Amino acid sequence: MKKKLVSMMLVGAMTVTAITGCGSSGTTETAETTEETAETTEESAEATEETAEATEETAETTEAAAASEEGSNTLTVWAWDANFNIPALEAAAEDYKANVDSTFELNIVEQSQSSDVEDAITLAGSSGDYSALPDIVLFQDHYIQRYVADYPDAWNTLEGADIDWDDFGAEKLSYSTIDGVHYGVPVDNGTAIMAYRVDLLEEAGYTLDDMTGCTWEKFIEVGKAVYEKTGKYLLCMDGDGNDLIYMMLQAEGQSQFTDGVPNFTENETLKEVCSLIVQMAQENVLYLANDWSDYTDQAIQGDMVAGVMNGNWIIPTIEQVSDNSGKWEITSLPTINGGEGYAANGGSSLYITSNSKNVELAQKFLAATFGAGSTATYDAALTNGGVITCSAKAGESDVYQQGVEYFNNQAIYAKIVEMGANVPVVEQSDYHYSARSVLATAIINAINGADLDAEIEQAESDLKFEMGIN
Amino acid sequence: MDNKHKNSVRAKQDRAGWYFLTPATLLIAIMSFYPIIQALLTSFKTGSSAAMTWAEPITFNYARMFQDRRFMTAVGNTFLYLIVQVPIMLILAILLAQLLNNKDVKFRGLFRTCIFLPCATSLVSYSLIFKSLFATQGLINTILVNLGILKENFNFLGTPWSARMIIIIALVWRWTGYNMVFYLAGLQGIEYSVYEAAKIDGANGWKTFWHITVPLLRPTIIMTFIMSINGTLQLFDESVNLTSGGPANSTITMSHYIYNNSFGQGVANFGYASAMSFFVFILVAILAAINLKVGDKRD
Repeated sequence: MKKKLVSMMLVGAMTVTAITGCGSSGTTETAETTEETAETTEESAEATEETAEATEETAETTEAAAASEEGSNTLTVWAWDANFNIPALEAAAEDYKANVDSTFELNIVEQSQSSDVEDAITLAGSSGDYSALPDIVLFQDHYIQRYVADYPDAWNTLEGADIDWDDFGAEKLSYSTIDGVHYGVPVDNGTAIMAYRVDLLEEAGYTLDDMTGCTWEKFIEVGKAVYEKTGKYLLCMDGDGNDLIYMMLQAEGQSQFTDGVPNFTENETLKEVCSLIVQMAQENVLYLANDWSDYTDQAIQGDMVAGVMNGNWIIPTIEQVSDNSGKWEITSLPTINGGEGYAANGGSSLYITSNSKNVELAQKFLAATFGAGSTATYDAALTNGGVITCSAKAGESDVYQQGVEYFNNQAIYAKIVEMGANVPVVEQSDYHYSARSVLATAIINAINGADLDAEIEQAESDLKFEMGIN
Repeated sequence: MDNKHKNSVRAKQDRAGWYFLTPATLLIAIMSFYPIIQALLTSFKTGSSAAMTWAEPITFNYARMFQDRRFMTAVGNTFLYLIVQVPIMLILAILLAQLLNNKDVKFRGLFRTCIFLPCATSLVSYSLIFKSLFATQGLINTILVNLGILKENFNFLGTPWSARMIIIIALVWRWTGYNMVFYLAGLQGIEYSVYEAAKIDGANGWKTFWHITVPLLRPTIIMTFIMSINGTLQLFDESVNLTSGGPANSTITMSHYIYNNSFGQGVANFGYASAMSFFVFILVAILAAINLKVGDKRD
């Protein structure tokens, strides 16, 4: 009878450890413990102790990724790109340590992709338990408005932080400012570049000056010549996540939304932009890739293109093709009626979560580094990670004036900062990516022969349906 | 009497059986049944997942999905896969099983292993391999262009009809061997003497197959049908990894659309996503029930 009782208890213990073991980093240890538990009854006391230890260890590991304890001099931050924004954060930590507080520690936890951070917020917000969040998260600009609207309790504002907001580009701040309240500190700069292979342009009989400030009509004419002479496309984009529409519209100073409502069918500029994209795709000026990896790996790195238009974070991708060093140069975007176009796409900012117990320290850290246009931070961020600032003050630094060999020694960083100041502020929406996706669908259908106007109408009604507007 | 029954050997064995079942039952209840009930409740709610409220009217999410043009596209795509792919795959599987059940075939074991092998690959990796095979600059294009069948590289995954076709080819490649194994197992259960008797009666190969193999394999066929219907209705990996649902949503499946509504595109519309999941659940249940009814020839 006793034996039976003991075995029942052990089965119970197994069940409990199996359940608690799920999803924790200490699973292996727990599993081992469970095995031992099953082996002999005598060792059970010992095993229980081990289980307790394992559970404690699990608790510790989870703690490390979450926010720091109250009153400590450490902050935890989540970011996702070891080649891009993590070096920028390391630079900021060094800067703060050297110039403000030598005992400060920044614990950077690498996430595999930006959506991991978004999913973590979704999870925390849905369960109402924010305790797994770190002090600061890096968050994508186009998503933040939606997440502040959906999970208002997940964030801390930057009210009271000593930051000179006028130093940043107004367009960049328009993402992280919600109802006039600042939520985030900009890290990088999403200014769009139009990069050309100057050698291929010359082969077709054109120069970079011909392209700067040209009309899309002229662009198509050049694109056809380039494809004929060299077999390369003058423009490329991911067809499913078509950012061209947004950037081309922004260069015209227009948005897909008016007062929070999709504005497609009445928007002549949007229709013009869409029909230009369809025309370019049909005339082999534009290569629309099937998805993102097709865009980066096949189109750009597979050397299929003579031009790339996207946020400047695409530069490291272009630079992967070392054979083409010195053949690229950048300029502003074409526009419908001619004149230089400026736009931005993508980028991210740093946000303090509601789980931070050291809000004051987090604010001070952000204000003294990224928020102050600190040269020490931004120079190292640029040299180590290629992160370009949108702070006007930091952009004046010498590092920005240097020519870049890959881009024919053009001082592209200074050029990007300068272009960034000209990007027009257009209306942002929680439904940015939904709009992108319905319009991308319309364009693909139109390329395959459907009527563009009808497709745009359908796209608008699909988006309104998703937003719940009738 | 009661007391006597309690202490009988039989009763003791019964009780022991329940003790053994308890841990598994508890785990299933906690891990599966509880979430299912929670999901049902969620499907009647709406709003941001931080502050979900009961929908007004309560069936809002269920009514909404029938007006959702993109969800209906996803349902259409899924049924297309179901109607085209499942019969092709099962017929191939049963023919292969019949072939490889023949004792005179040399290297039977090798062939069986080769045909089953695709099942050992992970869904994501085989999707990615198919994707690179059929890429615009991929192997298939290179071969077809060099053979002179195509004039220039064709964008297989960027054209709606060919993208759907590739998903079907991929599914057939991945799952035929899996179903073949069930048929092979079923064939082991058929006495060889039955075939001998048929031979003596003068039945040819086709007749033997149609009048002996198929009827005797009926339970296995029904099982594979139900499993394939269930699997196809919940198709996810191929849509996400091979085509990303594109071009223009022409290959998106129901599960992929449900995922997009909960995590995929930065939105967390859990209420609506749960409602759509229950729609899939009901579809699977109905189709399985029809299948059982049609397949059951007992009096």
